[in-house]
Amino acid sequence: MAGGKQNKLSREEELLLQDFSRNVSTKSSALFYGNAFIVSAIPMWLFWRIHQMDLYQSAVFFVIGTIISTYLVAFAYKNVKFILKHKIALKREDAVAREMMKKLADDKRMTKKEKDERVLWKKNEVADYEATTFSIFYNNALYLVLLIVASFFILKNFNPVFNYSLSVGSAAGLLALFSTSSKA
Amino acid sequence: MKLWWAALILSFGCFLPTFGEEESEARLLVSKNILNQYLVEGKDLTVEYKVFNVGGKVAFDVVLNDNSFPQSSFTPVSGSLKATWERITPNSNVTHAVILKPLKSGYFNFTSADVSYLTSEESKERTFGYSSFPGEGGIVPQREFDRRFSPHVLDWLVFAFMTLPSLGIPYLLWYSSKSKYDQPKPKKN
Repeated sequence: MAGGKQNKLSREEELLLQDFSRNVSTKSSALFYGNAFIVSAIPMWLFWRIHQMDLYQSAVFFVIGTIISTYLVAFAYKNVKFILKHKIALKREDAVAREMMKKLADDKRMTKKEKDERVLWKKNEVADYEATTFSIFYNNALYLVLLIVASFFILKNFNPVFNYSLSVGSAAGLLALFSTSSKA
Repeated sequence: MKLWWAALILSFGCFLPTFGEEESEARLLVSKNILNQYLVEGKDLTVEYKVFNVGGKVAFDVVLNDNSFPQSSFTPVSGSLKATWERITPNSNVTHAVILKPLKSGYFNFTSADVSYLTSEESKERTFGYSSFPGEGGIVPQREFDRRFSPHVLDWLVFAFMTLPSLGIPYLLWYSSKSKYDQPKPKKN
């Protein structure tokens, strides 16, 4: 029964599903993980140069810290993107519809339904794009601020290894925690 | 500083009862101090010696010699670890300073320097004494010192440069899209 129903989903329904699903495409997942990795690797520089940790001796901590932080940051990207996408879709609805209508006005052959579909598709695309870029920007900024506050103010006088583990862990953890708030 | 005072008071205490009898003799008190607040491997360390003549007569041919800094741990930067004064008048003092560079980090026991002098011009017998000793001091590794006190301006600049793309690129992409769709609204209304 369920299988039969799935086959009958119209394109519009598929778009809607895609619109509301929390899952991200492979491409944007790769983008998220790539970005999360870059931003998680940056603290290594600070701890190597400023906290004077030895790059080889602390390699294990750096690798584990970076992996955990990459996962948590990517998780935060996804959550924030999901929340933002709907807000942005609502905001951009009129502007996108206007733009698409202007573009498609000359095309007499296209039916109203087709045009609506195009608008919906474009709206989804714009919202997705804006939510993705803003989520990356917002989370990167928040992560770096949390990290600097933790490692240079709160844990300043602690042992560097302890400082690294705790500041990277808490910055990524808090980021992931904040991202689950529905108000973000 | 505390140690210095303690040493001075103690020495005074020892000599006070004999002041009356030996007032006519020269008597030297020597204090040895490390002036640096932080002792850092590879950074200059200043040792200051103060010689007080608390006796009633001039001390002659005063030789101050400090053998407490092994060459494997310290290298002299400026000044000499051996100092001589032809005479030190009563109730006066002289100061001598040496700048050294610690070569190793870790704890080092700063012990006393020797002083020898003639109590009067005619006397043949030299009087020997020791300075106060600053005690054990921890020499901080340079790495640790840099970690705590260096401003790391260049490192922070590089950090800013590294974070710029990860913040700037998403922001610019978002902003370009936002301004594209935000602007037409007020125009039409």
